[in-house]
Amino acid sequence: MRHLYLHVPFCTRRCSYCDFSIAVRKRIPAREYVDAVLREVKLLGATDPGREPGDSEHGLQTIYFGGGTPSLLPPDAIAALLTTLRDVFRATSLRNDVEVTLEANPEDVTPEAATSWRRAGVNRVSLGAQSFDDRALRWMHRSHDTARIVTAVRTLRVAGIDNISLDLIFALPAGLERDWGRDLKQALALRPAHLSLYGLTVEERTPLARWISRGAAAAPDDDRYAEEYLRAHSRLAAGGYQFYEVSNAARDNRRSGHNSAYWSGRAYSGLGPAAHSFDGKVRRWNLSAWEAYRRAVAAGRSPVASQETLTDEQLELERVYLALRTDAGLPLASLSGPLPSSTARWLEQGWAHLRDERLVCTPEGWLRLDALVRDLTGCRTTG
Amino acid sequence: MRQDHIRNFCIVAHIDHGKSTLADRLIELTGTLDKRLMREQVLDTMDLERERGITIKLNAVRMNYHSRDGGIYELNLIDTPGHVDFTYEVSRSLQACEGAILVVDASQGIQAQTISNLFLALDAGLEIIPVLNKIDLPGAEPDRRALEIHELIGAKPEEILRISAKEGTNVPELLEAVVRRIPAPRGTAEAPLRALIFDSYYDRYRGAIPSIRVADGTIRPGMKIAFGAHREDLYEVDEVGYLQLGHKPTEQLEAGEVGYFVANVRGVRETRPGDTVLDAEHADVALLPGYRDIKSMVFAGLYPTEPNQFEELRDALAKLQLNDASLHYEPESSVALGFGFRCGFLGLLHMEIVRERLEREFNLDLISTVPNVEYHVHKTDGTMDLVENPSLLPHGSAVDRIEEPYVKARIVAPAEYIGAIMKLGQERRGVYGGMHYVDPTRVDFTWEFPLAEIILDFYDKLKTISRGYASLDYEFLEYRPSDLVKLDMLLNGDAVDAFSVIIHRDKAYEWGKKIAEKLRELIPRQLFEVVIQAAIGTKVIARETIRPLRKNVTAKCYGGDVTRKRKLLEKQKEGKKRMKQVGTVEIPQEAFLAVLQVD
Repeated sequence: MRHLYLHVPFCTRRCSYCDFSIAVRKRIPAREYVDAVLREVKLLGATDPGREPGDSEHGLQTIYFGGGTPSLLPPDAIAALLTTLRDVFRATSLRNDVEVTLEANPEDVTPEAATSWRRAGVNRVSLGAQSFDDRALRWMHRSHDTARIVTAVRTLRVAGIDNISLDLIFALPAGLERDWGRDLKQALALRPAHLSLYGLTVEERTPLARWISRGAAAAPDDDRYAEEYLRAHSRLAAGGYQFYEVSNAARDNRRSGHNSAYWSGRAYSGLGPAAHSFDGKVRRWNLSAWEAYRRAVAAGRSPVASQETLTDEQLELERVYLALRTDAGLPLASLSGPLPSSTARWLEQGWAHLRDERLVCTPEGWLRLDALVRDLTGCRTTG
Repeated sequence: MRQDHIRNFCIVAHIDHGKSTLADRLIELTGTLDKRLMREQVLDTMDLERERGITIKLNAVRMNYHSRDGGIYELNLIDTPGHVDFTYEVSRSLQACEGAILVVDASQGIQAQTISNLFLALDAGLEIIPVLNKIDLPGAEPDRRALEIHELIGAKPEEILRISAKEGTNVPELLEAVVRRIPAPRGTAEAPLRALIFDSYYDRYRGAIPSIRVADGTIRPGMKIAFGAHREDLYEVDEVGYLQLGHKPTEQLEAGEVGYFVANVRGVRETRPGDTVLDAEHADVALLPGYRDIKSMVFAGLYPTEPNQFEELRDALAKLQLNDASLHYEPESSVALGFGFRCGFLGLLHMEIVRERLEREFNLDLISTVPNVEYHVHKTDGTMDLVENPSLLPHGSAVDRIEEPYVKARIVAPAEYIGAIMKLGQERRGVYGGMHYVDPTRVDFTWEFPLAEIILDFYDKLKTISRGYASLDYEFLEYRPSDLVKLDMLLNGDAVDAFSVIIHRDKAYEWGKKIAEKLRELIPRQLFEVVIQAAIGTKVIARETIRPLRKNVTAKCYGGDVTRKRKLLEKQKEGKKRMKQVGTVEIPQEAFLAVLQVD
């Protein structure tokens, strides 16, 4: 297995827009978590054919600590996990070749933590900055303020971690009067290697959904979404960043190797509650509740909650929509039929173009991607 | 059975006045059906009938009754359908009887259908036994209702039985009255066979099985028979019998008796209600009166949601037609909906029933177009087209005049709703024909309406404005010229044929505006702007626009999101398959249904 994901489910509070599988805890059960994940690693192969750690010829290339809030784990817990994973997954040297990303909240980035992370092998940090507007941060239920973001970036660099990504959320409700242009400017001023820009999406069973249903927040506005998305594209381009996926941009080609694996349909293994694994044909996912997951592995049972074997049609659908999310686009040769006539309008409108026998979306096209995918996969029989 | 010990009768009533419950009680009291097999509405065998509380398919039941005079009588109860769509069938059932029990709800009194069916029964020369039902209910006013009946048919108070079909009160007396007051049939046993078909049932193994009333002569297995409507076709009788919640074979059916026969008849189209069954060797006798070809009154296109279900729909319609001679269909195609069938129905209820049976019994998913009537389009060249599909209306300059069917309608309602009903009648282009009081508080209106104005939602409206008290009945009157136009709905300039209607000029604007608004609500935002227009010819009378979609993408898509996202796309793809594409616009199924529900 070349790509490994660890889901660290703990948070100290739930962000207003978040519907992820998390466990809100005042005290982080770090030891229990490390034990559980290491047990799961031991169980791999024994209980879950298809989730074996892998063979030596496919050495580990990326490890990604996602959450939740992985930066809530004590640095030694992260170190312990990385040491074992390196052995099991036969990565000769974590420090140099393997991309090891840690998602972190700005308030968790202390000089001590940063130094320990670096020493443990973490070489990329994805910071949940979200905004440079304190009022917006409070509205999102974030625990940091703008100043913490700036400090965190500086601290990481001092500790030797320069591959930094910032998450930002756009299309916030108009009532917040958040200045997206100003936020972009401040983010760019920090010259992060990478930016992830996510349009605010209202998911069911989130505080935000409840606010909207009782009228306390405005429903999402697609026009605002489109406008801010396109503005980000032009600002980032001017700053030397290249969007290489719908929501991700990098300068100097410092892309997320781990996430790129998802979009190119490569195999990956996920550890921890709710983590997904994929071997190219079968996708499995673990029990999502932390306690259920912990009990399963403690009892020596597989934590896999369910799995699906993808049909050829499903594989094609995934390949199409994932490829179109990236700047590499979709090789025309990989389509099972000719381009549907509706695609002509996409090209005409400048929402996509053909480049080296590939169909590639423009920012305008990325905004409407799902419609293109529906046109390209099946559905050629209407009318 | 000697004819003087036979009584053939039916029950006529307004819907919900207790016809089925009374039938249940008669069957029970005569011991016709084992108690264990008894259930409510026992004669209504279709699920649809039981759910809706209406009778669609006729049924007859033979009961043996030990009368107080010591004799054993053969009572044949012939069921009648309970809806205005089936007036012709009712009239055929009545022809098979000598008497009718007229059931009136003792709290609700006489309703429109009571009167219409009563008149049909009187026309058929039947002896009427008036009955007030539901006397056990607190709201029952039997004295007042008896007076109404007296005024309607001149029955003396002592001739009106007061019963509770639910409780069984006075039902034995009713059975006695059937024996004493309804005349025995008076057929000629020695004459050549003449039997009236009043219903027909299709059995997949034995073909069409007509229900008959033998007027003269005898029918028995081995006989060669013919039908009056197509005398050249001969059939051999395999089996005869009577109906008793199933087919019970006997040796023969004689003059005056009611039953069925099996003669390897392919479909019910060959055994039309009202037709006469004849002895093939003595076929030169006069036919029993009253047969006519049933004409469709309401037309609509039925299309499969999935284009590949066309063949299945065709087979299903063919099968349904074997059992329902009043269903007509022929293939047609629509730019918007693909291949389907233009179907003719007796009325809106008939249409709903057919549609529901197709979906339920044949597992089809259907879209129907706005139902319409058949127009007589007189052209300037002197010829006439029958137009039952609005999109096929000839071009304006070729048309001299268009005629539409009118019906004569009867509405019975409490007097306090006179104003509201007058207003509704005028809104529906009704020609007011007068009214009279059936009792001091209720009036009986007569109107003439264009059928097109009442097929869609008139009855619902009438019920609403009268808090449920008004009742309606109508029958075809004649074709009359009207100022009618074809109204098209255009999406980005393309007319969607399935939305076209023929409508009175004065109503076109309002209809077009409402449909345009409705479509704006129901058609989801698309990648490009959608302009909705209602137009008469080239003249646009209403316009709406749907702004284009600016955003249709998921922000985050990582390892854990891939499956979820794919499932979402699969669902959307399914949804898209169910959309109909016209030009560049995708129209959801609901849009086609919604135009059926415009206020």
